[in-house]
Parts: sequence; structure tokens; C-alpha cells
Amino acid sequence: MPAIEHYPIIMVAGLLLLAFIMPLLYIWKRNWCEPVAIFAISVALVMSLCIIYEVVQGDAFEEGYWMGGWEHFGIEFKADYLSSYMLAVIHGVGLLILIYGIGDLKKELVEKVRGWYYTLYLLLMGAMSGMALTNDLFNLFVFMEIVAISACAIISIKEDRECLEASFKYLILSAMGTGCYLLSVAMIYMITGYMNLDMVGETMALGVGEYPLNILVAMSLMVVSFGVKSALFPLHVWLPDAHASAPSPSSAVLSGLVIKIYAVALVHILFRAFPMEILKEVPMTDIILWMSTLGIIFGSIFAMVQENFKKMLAYSSIAQIGYVFMGIGLFDPERPEETEALVGGLLHILNHAVMKSMLFMIAGIIIYSAGLKKIRDFDGIGNRLKWPMYIFIIGSASMVGIPITGGFMSKLHLAQGAIAVDMPFFVMVIIASSLLNAIYYMPIFINAFLSESKHENVTFKPVPGSMMIPVVILGGLVLLFGIYPAPVIGVLESAVESLIQ
Amino acid sequence: MMETIESLLHNYYYFIAVVLFVIGFHTMLTHSNLIKKVIAMNIMDTSVFLLFVTIGYVQGGRPPIMDAVTPPAGVDYINPLPSALILTGIIVAISVTAYALSLIVKIYKFYGTIDADEIAEIRGREE
Amino acid sequence: MEDQIVRMICRVIVPFIQIYGMFIIIFGHLSPGGGFAGGAIAGASMVLFALSFNLQAGSKKISEESASLLESGGALVFVLAGVVALVLGANYLTNLEAGFPAGTPGRLFSAGVIPVITLGLGLKVTSSIVTLFYHLIGGEEEEH
Repeated sequence: MPAIEHYPIIMVAGLLLLAFIMPLLYIWKRNWCEPVAIFAISVALVMSLCIIYEVVQGDAFEEGYWMGGWEHFGIEFKADYLSSYMLAVIHGVGLLILIYGIGDLKKELVEKVRGWYYTLYLLLMGAMSGMALTNDLFNLFVFMEIVAISACAIISIKEDRECLEASFKYLILSAMGTGCYLLSVAMIYMITGYMNLDMVGETMALGVGEYPLNILVAMSLMVVSFGVKSALFPLHVWLPDAHASAPSPSSAVLSGLVIKIYAVALVHILFRAFPMEILKEVPMTDIILWMSTLGIIFGSIFAMVQENFKKMLAYSSIAQIGYVFMGIGLFDPERPEETEALVGGLLHILNHAVMKSMLFMIAGIIIYSAGLKKIRDFDGIGNRLKWPMYIFIIGSASMVGIPITGGFMSKLHLAQGAIAVDMPFFVMVIIASSLLNAIYYMPIFINAFLSESKHENVTFKPVPGSMMIPVVILGGLVLLFGIYPAPVIGVLESAVESLIQ
Repeated sequence: MMETIESLLHNYYYFIAVVLFVIGFHTMLTHSNLIKKVIAMNIMDTSVFLLFVTIGYVQGGRPPIMDAVTPPAGVDYINPLPSALILTGIIVAISVTAYALSLIVKIYKFYGTIDADEIAEIRGREE
Repeated sequence: MEDQIVRMICRVIVPFIQIYGMFIIIFGHLSPGGGFAGGAIAGASMVLFALSFNLQAGSKKISEESASLLESGGALVFVLAGVVALVLGANYLTNLEAGFPAGTPGRLFSAGVIPVITLGLGLKVTSSIVTLFYHLIGGEEEEH
């Protein structure tokens, strides 16, 4: 067994390596692809749980991990609280989505490309872990591009005209985001001469007085680029098509994980690279706050008018990513000790990852079993698809924010944080958006159970257990994080504390 | 005013890089031809690469290659780091371009056009 | 389109391009160049060959399947070269401190693990360019 401080690099390199071996396996041992992919992500999950345990209890990760032993010159991987938390979320939810996907993809993809799907999936997982772990701005750029390409590819792998167009739109807009990011990195390098986040942070604090404009431009480009990539409200245009037309496992992983990882990267950079003085002078957090508020309201309003179930879920993702950014926006640089909102925003990453991927899986199950995509066709399917619709009740309760579900906990923390920084208006926003969520989630399951069934003579394909079990587990997790969120919140409080310093 | 112009003239390479960036950005978002979008994406990436490389340049510097002969004192090497990073950046840009082009080939197969507006029209008619 | 002159010149020139590409890959740790640049040159030779003859003749030399095998192989070399250092008890991709023999500066067989990594990269880039080309052309061919 290698020592624990090697785990991060073994995880990333191993996942990328297996991604490249997957085509070979597909040529030689076709039916090994699925078990190997599941094995790889399970090992990664165990490793990330070990990492999170070590970060909380031990001290193996206090020093960064330098590639090739090039201390202070090379690329650094650093597992802090936030990145190890994100690793556990990525691999936990990713594993369940993969198990679900095996059943679903047999129907949605043609035989020829199914091996490549696992390549892309492992590539996506490896690159996302890399994004969470890396402490180097340029390395982050490389991982970001791998995530962008593989995320587009798991949409366009299902070759129909909608997917291709959505994927191209996503690719172009994410290339725009990447361009902005790279320009911002160039500005930062111009001022500081470093790529390492810690060193950038130290040097930039000295350069605030001398180059305020450069830092300002770098920071706004950074927010724009990550805003595009994680679909912050006015920059969200690519999301609905991309997430709605993709195969259901891809939708689950894109909506559940990919848009979050950019938010985490933004938190890392914003709080560690940019000095607190510049955040105090420029109302950047206020801008993020207002963008996220508009996103929460308009995302819900757009979601209400959708007919397609997956498209509704996609618009709802725009609203929900708004909560994550609201946590960042409610952070007040004048009062850095009030961190409750930030904790709530980061907690929502976990909660939304769990519940939105679950809802997309349920949408996938409904399409798989009955072929229904439109919401108005769902009347009466509750009697035929009992378990998926029961779990759907839990999921939508969590979306609305009813107590004992995960969504309630994150909204509670956000609301408390808003009161702590004297912005009670945003408590109103949270309550209003809960009502809006209720308006479009509740009728679906009420109609599904109570309406007259229109599907007497439609045959419902039986749902295989491998598709049902992940959904049930995620439903259980939603309730677990609603009832007993204390360990997660403990980790996040330490994470925020170490970020603010 | 004069000061601004003077500093622009002094740092004209940064200025040109930013102008290229804006050209790429604008073309990418406003033109409806998909191939033009990809070209604009490349212009945008290239502008950032140029900016990066100019950051690393040292006036009168030598290429940073280790030689058997030690250079005379007072000769500076240019900063190799931005160039090395940009090499990676170029590879990334190539792979994105290749992927985008292959998507365009497929889109042309399905829609019979590579114009974003016409594609939107076709999709609108379908729904 | 068949052109005798182009084919003849291509037949002569392709081996030289390939040798030049390999030179750039192998001397990557000594002179400017390396896996990316050399791989692009070597890959371009195959593209040139397939363009001047036709796709079938090109894919007889390197089939699509073997190109993707090579691609995976290149990535494998890179990652394993990094992991060897882990096994030797140093950080990932460590060179000298992990105890690789370094030789003398300026000689071809020196620099520890770096030539191996460059070779893996060159392999990967070459085969990637060939696969990319085949795929883009292949999409076109199905059309007509």
C-alpha cells in the first residue's frame, strides 16, 4: 500500500489511465468495461473517504504534494477540506450514476459507442478530481478543458440532431469561458509571476496598491468564465438544451457534478488568490449575489412553463446553482467571521448533487419504462411506477426545502447567514423560490398518484434492479443529510475557516 | 490623454493581443456560421497565447537552451515558463478545435446546413 | 484524384519526414522540440501519405484500430513512468531523486525518465493526429 499522501495523484492518474485502457478492453474483452469502470470509481471513492478522514484527523495533507518533487517550482496537489469534500461528493454520486447508467445506456446508446462512454466517463471523473485537488492555475486550466471536452462528448455521444446542436452550443460557450479564464491567468501571471495559488495569494496582497486595475480585470474575467461554465443566471443559455437532450446518466452527472466543480474552483481562487482588500473595495460578492438571486427567481419561472420533464429539471438546475453562488455572494468581506451562508452554499453542492442526479435518474426511468417525456402525460403513472414516484416525492420535497430533507438544511443555513449579515431581503428570496419550486414540483406527483390513469393499455417495461437501487440509495441519502447533517457541516465549517484566513 | 496613448504605444503588444481577443470574442458570439465560430475561437485562444508569450519575453534575451558553452556574463535568458505553458495550451486548443470540427461534420449530416440561424429555424419548425 | 508526380514525391519524402519527427522526439530532452512537436511532424507524414494516395492505402499502413491501440499505449507509458517513481518511494513523476540513472548532461542516454516520457508523448500525439484525421475524413466519406 502506498502512503496516504500519494492517494490524490494515484486517484487522478489511475482514473485517466483506465480511461485510456477502456478502448483496449472494448476491443478484447467487451463485457469487462462496466465492471472495470465501477471498480475504478469504487476504489476512488474509498480513497477519497480515506483522504477526507486524514484531512480531518491527521496531518498528512498539511503540506502540498509536489509533482516530481519540484518543490515551489512544479505543480502542486493540495487536499484541503473543501477539495476532499468535493472528491467524496464526486465519486460517491458518480459511482451511483454509473451503476444506474449501465442499464439505461443499453437502451439509449448504440452498441458501437458504448465502450467509449466509459472512457469519457472515467476521463470526466479523473479530470474533475484533478480540478478539485490542483493548486496550480494552469493545471486547473488543463483539467478544465478535459472536463469541458468530455462533458460535451457525453452529450453528443447519443447521435441525434438535438444532442449534437446542444453539445456544439455548450462547446462554444465553454470555450469562451476558457478564453476568459486564460486571459485572467495571464493577467495574474503578469502581476505575480507565479501559478501556484498560495504564492499568487501572497504576492498579490503585496501588489494590490500598485496594480489595482489588473487585479480587478483578472477577477472579473475569472467570475465571468466560471459563471459561464457553471451557468450563473445571465450566462446560462447553453444549459437547458445540453442537460435536457443528453442521455439520462449524462444529464445526471452534468447537472449533479460538473456545474458544481466550477463553483468550487471559483471559491478556491476567489478566496485564496485574491486579497481580501480588493474584495472589500469592489462589490464583486454583491454582483454575484444579485446574479444568483435573479437566477433563483428566473430559473424557477422558466422551469414552470416547460412541458418536457428533463427540460424542467434543467431549468431548475439554474435556480439551484443560484443557491450555491448565493452562499458566495452573501459572504461579506467586511465581516469575514460570518460564514454561515458560505457553509450553506457549499452544503447545497452536496444536497443538490444528490437530489438533482436522483431526479434525472427518475426521469430516465420513466423514459426507459414508459417512454414518456412530457409532464402532462405523467397522470396516473404513480400506480404503475410506484417506487420511482415515491422517491420522486422525497426529491421534490427536498427541492422545495421541507424539513427532514437535505434541501431544507442548506436553505436554513443560507437564511441564517443572510440574517447574520443583515440582509433579510434574501431570506424572502429563499422563501419565494421555495414557493415557486412547490408550484412546479408538487403537481407532478399529485397528478401521478391521484389523476385518472391514461395508460391502461400502455405496456410498462419492468425496471431492472441495477437502475432502481442507486435511486433508492440517493433517496435515502437525501433523508440522511436532512436528519443528520452535522458531520458534513463540521467539515465545511473547517473548510470555510481555512479559506478565509 | 497623451499619457494613455504613450503607454499604449509603449505596450503595443498587450494592446494587440487584447484587440485580437475582442475580435475573436465578438465573432464567436455574433456570427451564425459554425465554422466561423470555430475560427473565432482559435483567434481568441491565439491572442491569449500571444499575450502569455510576450509576458515572458526579456529585452535582448536568449532562448533558454542549455548549451555546452556557457553564455557571457550579462546575457539574460527569456522566461521559458510561459512558452512551455503555451505549448500545452496549443495542444488543448487543437483538441477542442478537432472536436468542434467533427461535431460540425455530424451537424451538417443531420441538418444539411452549418448556419446556426437556419438550424434554429429547422428546430423551431419541428416543434 | 491520382497524380503521379505528387505520389512519387510523397513516396520519397515521407520516410524523411518520419525520421525527422523521430529525431525531434528522441532528442526532446536535449534540444528544442519534444513529444508534442515531434509527434505532430510524424503524424503529419501519415496524413500526407493518406492525402496523396487515398484513405485505404493510408489505413493499410496504420489501421484505425492500431492507431487507437498506440494512443492508449502512449498514455500508458506516460502514467507508468510516473508510477515507477512512486514505487521507488518518491513523488509522482520524480526523476533524479527517485534514483533514475542520469548519465551526463548533453548525452542522448541521460536525463533519467524524461526520454521515456517524451517517447510516450510522441507516440500518443502521432497516433492522435492520425486518428483525428481518419475520423474527420471518415465522416466525410460516409456522406458520398
